[in-house]
Amino acid sequence: MDFTIRAATLEDCKDISRMILELAEYEKVSDQVKITQRDLEQDGFSKNPFFHGIIAEVPEHLKSREGHTKVGYSLYFYTYSSWKGRAVYMEDLYVMPEFRGKGIGKALMSKVSQLGLAAGCTQLNFTVLDWNKSSLDFYLKQGCWDVTSDLGYHCMRCEGDALENLAQGDL
Amino acid sequence: MAHFNLRKAEPKDVPDILRLIKELAKYEEMEDQVILTEKDLLEDGFGNHPFYHCVVADVSREHQKVEGYSVIGFAMYYFTYDPWIGKLLYLEDFYVMKEYRGFGIGSEILKILSDTAVKNRCSSMHFIVAESNKASIDFYKRRGASDLSLQEGWRLFRIDKKNLLKMSAEE
Repeated sequence: MDFTIRAATLEDCKDISRMILELAEYEKVSDQVKITQRDLEQDGFSKNPFFHGIIAEVPEHLKSREGHTKVGYSLYFYTYSSWKGRAVYMEDLYVMPEFRGKGIGKALMSKVSQLGLAAGCTQLNFTVLDWNKSSLDFYLKQGCWDVTSDLGYHCMRCEGDALENLAQGDL
Repeated sequence: MAHFNLRKAEPKDVPDILRLIKELAKYEEMEDQVILTEKDLLEDGFGNHPFYHCVVADVSREHQKVEGYSVIGFAMYYFTYDPWIGKLLYLEDFYVMKEYRGFGIGSEILKILSDTAVKNRCSSMHFIVAESNKASIDFYKRRGASDLSLQEGWRLFRIDKKNLLKMSAEE
């Protein structure tokens, strides 16, 4: 299939927002999406962006049933390992269902890897839900390993009231 | 013991930060995994585009319990992004030297970090803990942290440099 992978621009935020919702629906949690198109524009395309994006686009004659040519995306940002140094974190990777199986997901991930390596990163990290068997299989085939399984690392979160209380110094 | 001071790390703290990173890695039985150097820490934390931020705890000379060390605790963090809820604060490392534990230094560091998160409009603070580290898990759960790996099935995946190079070379 004919497609291009390129850096996301401000104008892409409308489609990125659409696809974020599609991915959240796939993960069965679309009611948890609070970020708007405007938030994405501010947080990703101002002087100090909190994330970077890449888009997979198809030519007009291959557009989706609903008329979209932007058919996949990845959001990533740079992190830091106190053991190894610079790292890249792939926050989202998504390809619309009717465009899967054509190498687009792999091409998006390859681009994130290239950009990460160019920035001096020595590892790419991301999380996957344990029930998402097709994604788990895809990633294991690319040479990834399950840090949670192998090293017993659990992802933890402190939010809402717990975060406010911690800031106040209450136990 | 109230005689400690929490402050933003400066370039001169880099040797102590690396020393404490290695002590924490030793506590996690992963000392040989630390390949980061003082040069990396200096460039990556105090250059034009910092990959991380650090707070350090120091004690004055007359209160030193361990000869020669005034920097006795630290936390390394950076900002990340969740396309559903926006900005997050990610806690990469958090450590207080054994001789200085039990005096509330760790709690004060966490207070500053959560305050930083709230002030920067982060909805959440994230971090990882090894499931074998019961003492740390209890410490965090007491402060309202939830275990996303257990509760929601999130698994952390990683691709190391060798496979990153392979992936980035694929068409």
